[in-house]
Amino acid sequence: MMPATGEAAGRQGGWWQRKRTRDLALIACFLLPSLTVFFLYRVLPLGWNVLLSVQYWSPLKPARWAGLDHYEEMLLYDDVFWQSLTNTLIFIGAAPFAIALALGIALLVNSDLKGAAVYRSIVFLSYPLMTVAVGIIWRWMYDERGGIINFALRASGLITKPIPFLQSFDWALPSVIVAEVWQVLGFYMIIILTGLQSIPQHLYEAASIDGAPRWAQFWRITLPMLKPSLFLCAVVGILNSFTSFDLVYIMTNGGPGHATELLITYIYKSGFGQTKFDYAAALTVVQFILLLALTYLANRAAGGNAGSLEHR
Amino acid sequence: MTTMRRRGTYLRHAALVGVSAIMLVPFYWVLKTAVTNENIYAYPPRLLPERPHLFNFVDVWYFIPFPRYLLNSVIVSAIVVACNIAFNAMAGYALTKNFPGKRAVLLLFLSCMLIPFQATIIPAYLITSKLGLLNSYVGLAFPLLSTIVCIFVFKAAFEAVPHSLVDAARIDGLSEWRIIVRVLMPLSKAAIATNVVLAFIWSWNAFLWPLIITREPTMQTLPLGLARFLSYLEDTTGALYAFAVMVLAPSIFVFLMAQREFIRGLTSGATKG
Amino acid sequence: MISRRTLLKSGTGAVVSALAMPAIAQAPKKISFLTWNIIDQEPMIRGWIARFVKDRPGVEVEWLDKKGPEIPVFYQTQLAAGTPPDVINTQGALGLEYAAQGALLDLTPRLKADAAARDRFNADYLSNWAYEGNNYMLPFYITKTLLFYNKPLFQKAGLSAPPHSFDAILDAAQKMTTADASGFLTLNFDWLYWPLYAMNGIDLLSKDLAKPTFNTPKAIEVTDRLAKATEAGTINKISWTGRWVEPNGAFAAGNVGMLHAHSPAYFFVKGQGKWVTPETLGVAHAPGGFATPNSHGLGISKASKNPDLAWDFLKFVTNEGAQELGVNRKLVTGNIAVDNKNLADLEKTDPLVYSILKTQLEHTDKMVGNWRLGNDSKVKEAFWPELQNALLGRKDAKTALADAERKVARELKRG
Repeated sequence: MMPATGEAAGRQGGWWQRKRTRDLALIACFLLPSLTVFFLYRVLPLGWNVLLSVQYWSPLKPARWAGLDHYEEMLLYDDVFWQSLTNTLIFIGAAPFAIALALGIALLVNSDLKGAAVYRSIVFLSYPLMTVAVGIIWRWMYDERGGIINFALRASGLITKPIPFLQSFDWALPSVIVAEVWQVLGFYMIIILTGLQSIPQHLYEAASIDGAPRWAQFWRITLPMLKPSLFLCAVVGILNSFTSFDLVYIMTNGGPGHATELLITYIYKSGFGQTKFDYAAALTVVQFILLLALTYLANRAAGGNAGSLEHR
Repeated sequence: MTTMRRRGTYLRHAALVGVSAIMLVPFYWVLKTAVTNENIYAYPPRLLPERPHLFNFVDVWYFIPFPRYLLNSVIVSAIVVACNIAFNAMAGYALTKNFPGKRAVLLLFLSCMLIPFQATIIPAYLITSKLGLLNSYVGLAFPLLSTIVCIFVFKAAFEAVPHSLVDAARIDGLSEWRIIVRVLMPLSKAAIATNVVLAFIWSWNAFLWPLIITREPTMQTLPLGLARFLSYLEDTTGALYAFAVMVLAPSIFVFLMAQREFIRGLTSGATKG
Repeated sequence: MISRRTLLKSGTGAVVSALAMPAIAQAPKKISFLTWNIIDQEPMIRGWIARFVKDRPGVEVEWLDKKGPEIPVFYQTQLAAGTPPDVINTQGALGLEYAAQGALLDLTPRLKADAAARDRFNADYLSNWAYEGNNYMLPFYITKTLLFYNKPLFQKAGLSAPPHSFDAILDAAQKMTTADASGFLTLNFDWLYWPLYAMNGIDLLSKDLAKPTFNTPKAIEVTDRLAKATEAGTINKISWTGRWVEPNGAFAAGNVGMLHAHSPAYFFVKGQGKWVTPETLGVAHAPGGFATPNSHGLGISKASKNPDLAWDFLKFVTNEGAQELGVNRKLVTGNIAVDNKNLADLEKTDPLVYSILKTQLEHTDKMVGNWRLGNDSKVKEAFWPELQNALLGRKDAKTALADAERKVARELKRG
């Protein structure tokens, strides 16, 4: 793309160069507003966290250099960190199932089915509901005595003794994950629905004419064309391990013990609960690196470049 | 063939009804508790509401400065939605082009998604303070003026538009901005709808940021009224759920308005390409 | 010889400064007042502020109220920005933590200078917030744990009086345990369960707060007995897994024999429990009179720009305001004169609440679970999860307490 240098092509090259610069300037202008918001509210705070993670800091005392002390403490002595890490990975691991479920629902409603709009709205209804309300109602649903889930299970004869979902070290995390999937399913659904809109109809028509069965059309046309949407869903699934902070906080507050402690709840508790802001910063950095690694893997799985369909 | 089609349709309906039922069960209980004052932990759980009434909704209106909070939420959400559509479309379009450093920018955007808000509270407050935006509508809206998920939604939608259309427009002499507005956006209605819905929900439900950034009660947004219903001396669950329903309603309304764009009717013949 | 010019200049200067003086005195002095979740008392607090500023022209008081979980986020952010509220209300040991952080003003010299202000408070409660010998907060309202019991369930089990020892608690609880009912429930946050250990002579830390002293055979035995009782259903498991709504809700449902909680639990239980009447709800001290306080204190931020005004307001709220607070919210404020008067009135109007609040002022020398630690939350985080493991049967008591000792020692060493 480099313009030819030299006198002969000078005028041609100069004109090209100016247009190219104009293009780049325009691109920069288009990116500027978003980048400003992110710079101020994500990049700078991340930098603050990185700086803080290598100091001993408290809001009113002078800062001291700490080197890698916090990281050492975290990785070698803090079993709560390792438990939070495991829980976070399990939490993220549930995302593919939720996305698959959302994909199924999206395909079902993305048709001329009568009442599709109603089904769509019902599935999406849970997403905008205040997380506090979601947390409280699910906490009730899981309750051993008055909760509807135990009541239904016992009434249908599937179990005899109630299951203490949120009080049990084994059931607590899956229970929280179910509540989270319930809330976020609608979100995955509309991302996928948006992606389904971009698939040109003529591809399906051509395939039908060729006699390709429905499931082959799905594998060969729908799925590949949905790569960017599915990649986005995967990233959101990774994000949910911290955006569902409110839900976990309300339902179990990380308990019992640390059975539902996620990295984000541990970060929040260390910072605002125990005033260990420097330690919380170190945890943030570690979580960031972990999530970045997972996103990179998801990107590779989606074919690179955020799953975009640029080969077309 | 028609019987098979009908059976397929029945199966689809059955599956969707099942899914809907599961999704609705918690809602039923939220609504039931909102119209009664019963102790939800009573055993055994009652299926039907006992002596339903609408007083909880009235309580919500009077316990907190509901109209003021509502107004504040509407203004902030309007700012957020408008800016989101503009900024995200611009950024999404820029990302469809090839330019040096594109991979770095993509990586930057992806990384920014991975920074949780809870870890940014203190620096975000200090920055907003330095900008002089504390306790203001712009300050409330600022961190949400652009979101990366929505940028990527636009990017994917724009990439799906055939190059031929864009090239034709460029040959016609349209400026880049005009191309976005005149060519790409009309063909990305679903992406716009997603942006509107998500930006609205995220700003409407935002709790932690308004908590930190507003001092005066006159600038607070609706979710901050929640505290009044989480009293620990009394059981205000009924009013709390009524409050949750009232806060939910506008988001559902926005979704219902926007959702026509999520599905392209096969019968409308609005095919692309 | 003073030149005319100098005279004119100095004259003008004097006039200007004379004109400016009242203007400076009239520039509004503003303090902000942060309270912990008493938004339902808005009219009362607005009334206080109105009375306070009436006698002080040019003074403004800004009132902020936040829920408990939001106060640390809000306060720490304001602290980092240098604009913390002048007068703040904290619950439990948070006040000590902020004092240790250096966020609060040392009130000791002001209390020394104003003996009347100091003496109007119950000394034991006042010392709840004494960090390293200095006072940092005044009592706003005070609570401590007591034993509520379900009289009908007691009678059904053939028990006549509330238990007077740890063994008696477990014994009575066991007698009341059936398939549907459990015998004993306690709250667990903020060390509220500690009287169970204190009544067995177990102390968490040494007197100088430097070493953990809880890893003793007696403590292991107590923990083991509690764990076994929990497994048998004698002690309701929610004691160790619930926070506020679940435990109180369970007792309110009427199938728990005893609830070990602090006094505000009464109002929640009464609201939800149809069975609660003066005849059916019993009120007693925990055996030995041991109790964990969970009081609300009022302090002044060190970064306050108007500390004297803040101190004035502090005294006003805890003196003139205390009477109204005690009556409206039916609680004990720590202000001796106010409490005596309110209790005398309550004895006639609401004997049950009177009996509950009376316990809050008795045995105040037996308050435990209130170590004057600057890092209370860190020590709690090190101790409680391990104890919870033992109580819920995840670990045996011996291992759990040993692990807890190790972790607590680490936190104490870090200081």
